[in-house]
Amino acid sequence: MKQIRDCDLPGIGHKYVIETRSEDKLVIIIHDDGRRELYHFDHEDPDDSISMITLDDDEARQIAGIVGGLAYKPKALEKIEVALDELIIEWYKIEPHAVCVGKTIGEINVRHQSGATIIAMLGKDNERIINPGPDSVLKAHSTLVVAGERQQIMNLKQILMNGE
Amino acid sequence: MEHVVLELGLAVALIALAGLLSTKLRFSVIPFYILVGMAVGPHAPKFGNFDFRFIHSAELIELLGRLGVLFLLFYLGLEFSVGRLIKAGKSIAIGGTIYIVINFTLGLLFGFGAGLPLQEVLIIAGITSISSSAIVAKVLVDLKRTANAETEMILGIIMFEDIFLAVYISVLSGLVLSGASSIGGVLLSAAIALGYMLLFIVVGRKALPLLNKLFNIRSNELFLLAVFALLFIVAGFSETIHVAEAIGALLVGLVLAETEHMKRIEHLILPFRDFFGALFFFSFGLTIDPFSLGGAVWLSLGAVVITLIGNYVAGMLAGRSAGLSPKASSNIGLTIVSRGEFSIIIANLGKAGGLLPILQPFSALYVLILAILGPLLTKESKHVYNFLNRIFKLDRNYKKQLAAKTEVKRVEDPS
Repeated sequence: MKQIRDCDLPGIGHKYVIETRSEDKLVIIIHDDGRRELYHFDHEDPDDSISMITLDDDEARQIAGIVGGLAYKPKALEKIEVALDELIIEWYKIEPHAVCVGKTIGEINVRHQSGATIIAMLGKDNERIINPGPDSVLKAHSTLVVAGERQQIMNLKQILMNGE
Repeated sequence: MEHVVLELGLAVALIALAGLLSTKLRFSVIPFYILVGMAVGPHAPKFGNFDFRFIHSAELIELLGRLGVLFLLFYLGLEFSVGRLIKAGKSIAIGGTIYIVINFTLGLLFGFGAGLPLQEVLIIAGITSISSSAIVAKVLVDLKRTANAETEMILGIIMFEDIFLAVYISVLSGLVLSGASSIGGVLLSAAIALGYMLLFIVVGRKALPLLNKLFNIRSNELFLLAVFALLFIVAGFSETIHVAEAIGALLVGLVLAETEHMKRIEHLILPFRDFFGALFFFSFGLTIDPFSLGGAVWLSLGAVVITLIGNYVAGMLAGRSAGLSPKASSNIGLTIVSRGEFSIIIANLGKAGGLLPILQPFSALYVLILAILGPLLTKESKHVYNFLNRIFKLDRNYKKQLAAKTEVKRVEDPS
């Protein structure tokens, strides 16, 4: 992304102007009453928008989840981060040489040591464990969905990689 | 006064109907409120037994309308923040100054040209200078212009006008309400008004911790009562020292905006502003004798033409100063041309000061025309621009600039 500019629109709401790498200009208005408006501007003629969408608060949140990859994770990406205030949800892939490979979640005592939680484990062979228990074994190349504050997640990665 | 509640109910029903009609027609509601007020005022004709003239309840409605002004200005004060203005930046200060200087000067020249006395001229210049925040903000949202490049500039100019309005009303109310006749007396009363404002804001800032504590009330009922008490007492007290009530309300808003309860107050006060605000426009309509409008037609039309030209020129200049395209700049002038609540508030100040009665029908016609014309011009801004562009070649310089820019780009980047 090239840049995001934001400013107040007194009496109306807040405005974000986003210029994407593909040279599209997207303007998002968050109205004080909760409505969101998305405007797409032509790069050549920035005076008139080409199209616009109005969303209610609940629609906007749902779409944010879809765009943010909560509903469907794009295959090409190894790591996605979703931030909800302080809480961060992140996808983390276990590398084959990590210390934790072959151990159970209980053995390395993840939650106690780091504060972060493993919400789900996605194996290489499409094996899925939601809310894995302490006896679930961590395998190489599995993807973990972890939740916690930024520092806690960093601790968790450290523990998975080096054991401490 | 026996059926006063029924009369009030009918009045509110009429206002609601006018509002519904205006939204159906996709117009601004303000002219409709005024028109319906004029239609049922004490000057309206009576049809046999059907007497729709709101005479018994006129006093009550006038009082409610007065409260409407207080809520309008109180809300303005709450919303206003210096931090926001500073953040908005230099371009807006320049644009706002251009706008105010051009419009105010034109208003003064127009007033003197019409051969009116000084105080009336100052009122007229105020009426023609300040556009309606309510209409402009609504038009921008309705026409889906919020994302446009010029919108920040438009809202900035409106904010800038709001400050000008506050200072101007305070000076003007000192001048008009105190009845001072000598230059020294006028300066003194204006100084008292300004000094009162400054003192209030400084004391309000110092008392912030106290206010935070004082308004730390859990019950919504008691909270609302406390806010209203403060609002009415300060507004009423201001009037006793010849500072307009509206300024008192604005000051309370400015001070309370700094407290931690600002969001809650804003939320609670909004329905009151909407309800009493509507009654304000209606009660303004009530005071207008439709047959007196004739005498003010030429004056109002003249002022409208001058406002249109002044706004367009100011918009083009302000837009250029911020590096906007001529088309976007043209939108600025066409959008902020709407006049409404603030023009009427200033006109009412003239009435309170006992100035020439022509100010009332003048401001009514002027506001009616521009409150209808403004949103229309904004909507059709593309056609207005294309039309004016054909005559004045507004985009001449801009095209050259653009060409020069792309030339530079090409030189830098041979691909």
